Amino acid sequence: MSLARKGRLITLIGLGLLALVYVRALAFTPVERLQGPAQKIYYLHVPAAIWAETAMFLVGLAGIFYLFLKDPRLDRFGAASAEAGTVFAGVVLTTGPIWGKPIWGTWWTWDARLTSTLFLFFLYIGYLLLRGAVDDAALRARYAAVLGICGMCLVPFIHLSVYLFRTLHPQPIVLKPSAPSLPGSMLVTLLLSFGVFTLLYVGFVMQRYALALAQAQPDERSAHA
Amino acid sequence: MPDVPHNSGYMIAAYIVTAVILVGYAVSLYRRGEKR
Repeated sequence: MSLARKGRLITLIGLGLLALVYVRALAFTPVERLQGPAQKIYYLHVPAAIWAETAMFLVGLAGIFYLFLKDPRLDRFGAASAEAGTVFAGVVLTTGPIWGKPIWGTWWTWDARLTSTLFLFFLYIGYLLLRGAVDDAALRARYAAVLGICGMCLVPFIHLSVYLFRTLHPQPIVLKPSAPSLPGSMLVTLLLSFGVFTLLYVGFVMQRYALALAQAQPDERSAHA
Repeated sequence: MPDVPHNSGYMIAAYIVTAVILVGYAVSLYRRGEKR
């Protein structure tokens, strides 16, 4: 089975399981007393945020290794991870304000976590635009690697921003040094959703990598001709 | 004990938007793959 087909299968399984996560979150997970049903946005927002940040971290890691090894597979992986990360960042930046409106009373506020996440999204967009703007494959890969490394440096700042600054954004209740302060049934829903988002990330990256590979092969053939 | 807020409309909107973004991207990847 080709990489693209495997990626499609994993994506399809991920989307099917996402439907089950929806059913579990909406029908079988208790409603939080203070925030009401809007709290359930958390089960989509948090896994999407983790993968938006992890994807950029992996783009940066691939960039570092690319600069040393000059392996085009690392560049292709970086491009694939960046595109998937952009999608997850898009989910974060839409679900966040939809949660913020009923809970904070505003769609948006320029606090450190929100602003740095928006900056991450713009970095993703910049990364994709840069890749589209440079024709020379080696130069494109080098520029993209450097931008990816810059993006990677932003990720720890985003995570720690709620500790470093006075922010409206809640502090982590799962990804923190002490034990998760989330009731068991809610934690199970969150972990299931995180598993599904992981599958989707893998499926998306495999498909996007296969696309980049198919795109590169004619170029490589013409370069060797 | 305070009443539970009635804000399920926001929850539904977020779930729909997420599904649209994820399914939309999956379809886009599929279509781009088919073109090749």
